[in-house]
Amino acid sequence: MGIRFILCFNKQGVVRLVRWYTVIDSGYVTQDFIAQIYRLISSRDHKHQSNFVEFSDTTKLVYKRYAGLYFVMGVDIDDEEPIYLSHIHLFIEVLDSFFGNVCELDIVFNFYKVYMVLDEMFLAGEIQEVSKDVLNERLQILDRLQ
Amino acid sequence: MGSSLKSFIKDVRNAKTFSDERTIITKQSAKIRTKLRDDHLSSSKKRENIQKLLYLYILGEPTHFAQVECINLIASDQFVDKRLGYLSTSLLLDESQDLLTLLTNLLNNDLNHPNNKYIVSLALSTLGSLSSYDLAKDLYPDVLHLIETSNDPFILSKSLQCLSKLISKDFELTILSILPIDIFVKKFFSNNKNDLLLTNNVWLGICKFLQSIVILLLSSFSSSSNSDLLSDQFLTDLNHCFSSIIPKLFYQLSSLNIKNYESSYDVQGVRDPFLQCEIILTLKYLFKLSKLSTNHFISLINDHYNKFMDLLTQLINNSSLNLNKNPNNAILYEITMTIFELEMDQSLRLLGVNILANFLKPYNNNNNNNNSTVMQGKRSKNNHINNSNSNNIKYVALNTLIKVIKYEPCAIAKHRKFISQCLYDTDISIKFKALELTFTILNKDNLVELTEELIKFLKDIFSNNNGTHDYVYFDIDESNDLINYTVDNFLKKCDLFDSNQDAIKLRSLFEILKIVGNMISIDQLNEFLIIINNIENWQVKINSLIENISNNMINNRIVTNNISWNLIMVWSIGEYGDSIITKANGNITSNHLINYLNQLNILYSQNFKNPLISNLSINKHSYSDYITMIQYILTSALKLSSKINQSDAHNIESLRQIILSHQKDSNLMLQIKSNQYESIFNQGINIKRIILDSMPKFIKQADNNNNTSDHNKIQPNQNRNNNQNELLLDLLSDINDNLNQEKSTSSGPITVSNNNHNSKPISKTTTLTLPKDNIDLIFKTDLLEVYSHIIDVQPGNAHLELFFKPIKTFVKSMHSLCAVSKQQKLTLGHLYPHNTDIEMNQIVKQSLKIVGSGKLKLRVKLTLVTVSSNSISDKTQEIQFDYKFNETI
Repeated sequence: MGIRFILCFNKQGVVRLVRWYTVIDSGYVTQDFIAQIYRLISSRDHKHQSNFVEFSDTTKLVYKRYAGLYFVMGVDIDDEEPIYLSHIHLFIEVLDSFFGNVCELDIVFNFYKVYMVLDEMFLAGEIQEVSKDVLNERLQILDRLQ
Repeated sequence: MGSSLKSFIKDVRNAKTFSDERTIITKQSAKIRTKLRDDHLSSSKKRENIQKLLYLYILGEPTHFAQVECINLIASDQFVDKRLGYLSTSLLLDESQDLLTLLTNLLNNDLNHPNNKYIVSLALSTLGSLSSYDLAKDLYPDVLHLIETSNDPFILSKSLQCLSKLISKDFELTILSILPIDIFVKKFFSNNKNDLLLTNNVWLGICKFLQSIVILLLSSFSSSSNSDLLSDQFLTDLNHCFSSIIPKLFYQLSSLNIKNYESSYDVQGVRDPFLQCEIILTLKYLFKLSKLSTNHFISLINDHYNKFMDLLTQLINNSSLNLNKNPNNAILYEITMTIFELEMDQSLRLLGVNILANFLKPYNNNNNNNNSTVMQGKRSKNNHINNSNSNNIKYVALNTLIKVIKYEPCAIAKHRKFISQCLYDTDISIKFKALELTFTILNKDNLVELTEELIKFLKDIFSNNNGTHDYVYFDIDESNDLINYTVDNFLKKCDLFDSNQDAIKLRSLFEILKIVGNMISIDQLNEFLIIINNIENWQVKINSLIENISNNMINNRIVTNNISWNLIMVWSIGEYGDSIITKANGNITSNHLINYLNQLNILYSQNFKNPLISNLSINKHSYSDYITMIQYILTSALKLSSKINQSDAHNIESLRQIILSHQKDSNLMLQIKSNQYESIFNQGINIKRIILDSMPKFIKQADNNNNTSDHNKIQPNQNRNNNQNELLLDLLSDINDNLNQEKSTSSGPITVSNNNHNSKPISKTTTLTLPKDNIDLIFKTDLLEVYSHIIDVQPGNAHLELFFKPIKTFVKSMHSLCAVSKQQKLTLGHLYPHNTDIEMNQIVKQSLKIVGSGKLKLRVKLTLVTVSSNSISDKTQEIQFDYKFNETI
């Protein structure tokens, strides 16, 4: 059930964000696992192919490319894909208003803030807050807290 | 090198080479290690180091050394420390680690933090992602307490999400008498003033919580072990609660769905699609429970099911207006899945099919998609969104149609136009799904129409393959896969043709051969031959052959790059030469046929003898395929000789020359064949006619084994005895679980297995040593070494030995199975000395005799049990490897 992992990497395959919600299948080295996902997704035609791809017996990937960054969610094979695409998009929108026109460098240098945004939206692999207004407001407060 | 996080990231980014980057990272990693060990490090410095550590984590560097440091950070009083501590802990640790026990107390304190709700929230998030069994058990009451007492939606929604995660960890928690469901109903649904608490995110939490409970109940009903924990009273109470919640869920869902703009929850004009989907999903689970479980929950169906169906119909009507928005589609999709999973009545199922079919319709690009403008400036091209969006819904729709076709096959078949359109989609995965679906809906009624569609599709792929399209979206391998899939499945479906449709059937088959003949395998070709052979309507068969033969033979045009096409033609000439000549009314004479055979003979003989100057495109076809081809030509020439006018000495002589041309062939098989055929050729015409009569009807032998589809045995009727032997072999091969096994001829020794589990070592006295020369180490693991020793290689056969030598431990019950390529046959000897248990550094050997042709290739599969000295348990291992020899036979 739910999201198994959230990944973000750029076109060169450099990982920018990684969060696991379940322990990945044993026998995999995490980095190989990510590399495999990267190879699969980067080889797909980004204009003409769907944003969904089956990855293993238990996981399928829902991904979307924004500028040079791929945002990938690994979800349960029985889950319905389209709504997760909206998840990704909402995440990007929130990042965008939080950083103000977000770009890859924002994510590179402020990765810990990106995690903060991520954790406000998702809890244990489930979406948990969906209101942009609420999120924006709360992230402003959290950002100021010292 | 600077010391701040920022400069560290910059350094890594600016590294010019890979080794520069490694140096920077290793240095920094060592530095962090020493820094963190320093007790007097200021808390801001500590944070900075942990942040760097997290950056290393993202890059995939080892970070386990700092796990305890991260947990320590949580203990700090400062919020910033706590925040970073929780973040790093939840990233660096996972649910399986023992360190988690250190967290229990810290989490307990923070969950009960009196005046900082953000600290509580951090603890809840962390507990949610790191909920091990022990943590779940210890902290469950605290989370429950929060739900009971808090009035802040922020905390409530997180607690509910966290709780649903915890109860999924431990079933007993749900059963504990303190199951929160009554608290829960009282808290959220008892009176109207609670509406303030019920914000959308709290609803999300409620949905997740209900889902977790239902999933647990469902799984406990299916495995009886837990169900005795569930008392009747408990289930009755639960049913009561569900029954009171369902109407609220209905109400919430329908009010969300009514167009009512609310900026904060708006996603492309749809109001909170996330919550809508979750509520539909929750209701689906509740009704599923009520359908599947014992009578405890039956009242849910009785009281609410009709209302639910009405509601879904209403939602479909509201959402169908705007198909180009992903959120809308997500909701529609969720509804469709619900309809089919709950097997609702037909009117709804038809609605569901229509929704999915709508997804497949060509997408209207004129609709302005006011997708949000996020990152717009940096997006290379914005207009792709429409395109990939439409592919997304096509993909899920096809996927779902494949799943639900068993419910509404006719309704789905009606939409075949849209399905066929998806065959030409540019996305390979959509192509595949559409193809799969096309074959599923294929039946007697739409057979002709869909066959035409499939042929058109093959043409399309073929032209893509050959670069005649101005675009190429997928590579050759993928399109070959598509072609093979289509041909395989089409051949399977050919039985559907009625006997009066023979003409269409043949036309389609020939059409397919013309298009993709050089991309299909000899195995598939055999299927073609059988179908042609079995066509009962002689008239139709011959006419169709005449049509095809005259097309490329009379005009002296030989198709050079389509070996399959030529093979079928050659075979038909051999089988039906006489009828063709009679029927063609002089348009085709025996001269034509013989000339054709002759030309092909020259073409393929040159080709396989000298592949370098080959003018044939060597697509999928190998050396051995050319040899097969020549064999067919020889047989055809022989058969034709008995069918043409015997007084025509010139033609007879030409046929003899074709057969003789391989009498001194370097290939043994061809040489033998040529000589044997010559002796038949010289027999009297009456004897020849009997031997060389047309083939009888092939009957597919239904296999007794369950894996019929893998290797359908196809044998002529008269070979019953032989068949039985084959079946026997087949059974044996199943016992040994080895499908790749090459079978030897039925008279030969059974090659499948060489030992069994119970065999005791007979003698241990013989010890082997490796031979001195011609020995190669072909495979090596830390467990054992495998050597090969070639005793003899000649054209047509080879004799070799394999030596197995365990180098680490004593090995028990070793089984070795080998397979060779299709053109070869293998006879596998016993392991020698006769034992399956091998001491360390002892050697056993196995002899292999291979006949056939082609390169020597070997696939070896070993199963064995290793016994290591320091562990009690034996471990079964499987080793498989391939090896190519330099030799060719």
